[in-house]
Amino acid sequence: MFLRRLRLYGPLALYGVFLLLPFYWMLLTTFKPDAELLKSPNPFLIFHVTIEHITGLLTQTQYLQWFGNTLFVSAASTVVSVFISYITAYAIIRLRFPGSEVVSTAIFLAYIVPPAILFIPLATIIIQLHWFDKLWALVPIYATFLVPFCTWLLIGFLKNIPRELEEAARVDGASNFAIIWRIIFPIAVPGLISASIFSFTLSWNEYLYALVYMSSSTNKTVSVGMITELIRGDRFQWGELMAGALIGILPAILVYFFFVEYYVAGVSGSVKE
Amino acid sequence: MSHPDRRRFLQMSAAGIGAATMAGGFPALASAADSPFKPEKGAALQLLRWKGFVKRDDEVWAENTAKFEKATGIKVTIDALSWPDVTPKAALAAQVGSGPDIIMGWNDDPFVYPDKLVDMTDLAEHVGKAHGGYFDTAHTYCFDPEVKRWVSQPIGVTGNALVYRKSWAKEAGFAEFPKDFDGMLKLARGLKKNGHPCGFSLGHAVGDANGWTHWVLWGFGGKQANPDNSIAINSAETTHALEYAKQLYETMIAGVAGWLDPNNNQAFLAGQLGLTMNGISIWASSKEKPEIYADVANVVPPYGPSKQHTIFNNFTSAFIFKYSKYPQAAKEYLRFMLDTPQADPWVTGMVGYVTPALKGYADLPVWTSNPNITPYRDAMAGAKFDGFNGKPGKAAAQALDEFVIVDMFADVCVNNMAVKDSIAKAEKRLATIYKR
Repeated sequence: MFLRRLRLYGPLALYGVFLLLPFYWMLLTTFKPDAELLKSPNPFLIFHVTIEHITGLLTQTQYLQWFGNTLFVSAASTVVSVFISYITAYAIIRLRFPGSEVVSTAIFLAYIVPPAILFIPLATIIIQLHWFDKLWALVPIYATFLVPFCTWLLIGFLKNIPRELEEAARVDGASNFAIIWRIIFPIAVPGLISASIFSFTLSWNEYLYALVYMSSSTNKTVSVGMITELIRGDRFQWGELMAGALIGILPAILVYFFFVEYYVAGVSGSVKE
Repeated sequence: MSHPDRRRFLQMSAAGIGAATMAGGFPALASAADSPFKPEKGAALQLLRWKGFVKRDDEVWAENTAKFEKATGIKVTIDALSWPDVTPKAALAAQVGSGPDIIMGWNDDPFVYPDKLVDMTDLAEHVGKAHGGYFDTAHTYCFDPEVKRWVSQPIGVTGNALVYRKSWAKEAGFAEFPKDFDGMLKLARGLKKNGHPCGFSLGHAVGDANGWTHWVLWGFGGKQANPDNSIAINSAETTHALEYAKQLYETMIAGVAGWLDPNNNQAFLAGQLGLTMNGISIWASSKEKPEIYADVANVVPPYGPSKQHTIFNNFTSAFIFKYSKYPQAAKEYLRFMLDTPQADPWVTGMVGYVTPALKGYADLPVWTSNPNITPYRDAMAGAKFDGFNGKPGKAAAQALDEFVIVDMFADVCVNNMAVKDSIAKAEKRLATIYKR
């Protein structure tokens, strides 16, 4: 019995430690005074808890502004991208228009082109549209990598929804629009949520586009703002950086916490026939 | 009480302005009148610069900019980024033909797109003449010999020096810091023996790893390229440099292979290191730890067998893209910011983080206000440039960006690769880069 438990929980515990150690370290660094960060009898413990890094972050930088910016951009780009991806994926899977296979492959290829290659041609377009240094412009910009990803994810999900459901609705006189929203949408919710979680996380962590297309301090996102303000040459303000990262992961944690079941259903398939 | 008449008012005003000017009250206006640069009507400027290495840098720069705005009526918007992020943003501006009017970039940046930059000859010569001329490295990084014009306005370097613990060096038998490479190796061995090893980054630390490896390579007379950009890394001098580095590595603290720029600062301030190479930040930060602060010393790195200064520092300069609608205003801004009334408090406020490229500012009292600041004053005087002794430009920038020299040292020290094999590998990488 003991051996059986050890075989089951031993590797799980090791994996748990491996996964959670970075978060634990982040927590420690946030609440440790600077002196303890440099030298401590046991680096895995805190001997004098302090909140000076959190208060410093919130009062001496524009962190709350960056946080608000990131929240707005991530939420808006997620909603826009998942909506576009849903109708695109449905069209590719169900409408079977000429060239749908090619479009599907092209969408996948668009996803694998790295942003480092795309950012210069994209910048030309953004400047011509006068979108440079406009926070809302990050929403359509992020959609350029979120839509291919979400479409690809939703194609896989929608493929598993039985066609008979749609055919039955069609027999009852439902239009395409009604099928998309009243029949498929409720079943696709787990897939849409997992696509939303991925989109939100990718947008939240995005760095390159936010760095190059935004310039004023009021338009910075968390990832760019923290690097700009909390790293001065070779002096890293570790306490504030980790406090910023800790606060910064809260939205993602909340999203995962509330939607984890949908998320699991989304990535493991949809309706069981 | 009688009211002053118009003549009396003018007399009083003239006397007041004269007194204020003599007292230094209106230096900005006085020097602006002598300026050869006449800002365009309705000009507004955008500056992209690196975030200051100390807070005082940003503060004084902003104060000086406010003075400029008041004196000229030209609005200046400052965007500051983490220093490694300026180069990609400058490259983007060059590609799309839009962006900040002035960019304070790094090292070879101006040579990556020289045809897209405003001719800076008038400004560079004017400023150089007014402030004692430039150190040689500034000329190399900012003057394009092919078109015979300045493409960028030199600003300065983030200087490197050796940082060590005086009491531990003394314990190891060195009351004074050694004057040559052999002496330094003996010191490093002594420190290691007493449990206070040295530490030099062999990871991809932009400032620290590039700093010490180039210093050793050049110290032995090795070089990356010849003046015609043919590859020159495969030489007896490079071999000697790598053999020396291997011996030095044996005295280092464990883990340097993964070190980035902040790691040696942290290890030194935690009391784990006896010797390293760094900017002035370690000494400046040690003020918060009095027992270390009193024991830290900064020194100019010793000479190698080449018998000359061979320091490598990151160099910063300001350039103006041709797309700017206000090049004259931009030049006037740079002239103003590098003029003594503004540059003096700026350099002084940075306490040695940035060493100006202008020789005139080597005399500022800040450099001798503490013996630990003085070595950073001399960082420009002996500095060489990346890609030495080749031409600055895309190839040199890419070789630096890809850490070719650092990796060559790491291959020998950390990966136990034979010296000749690591040189051959670096030579191959450089040949590919320089052919592109």
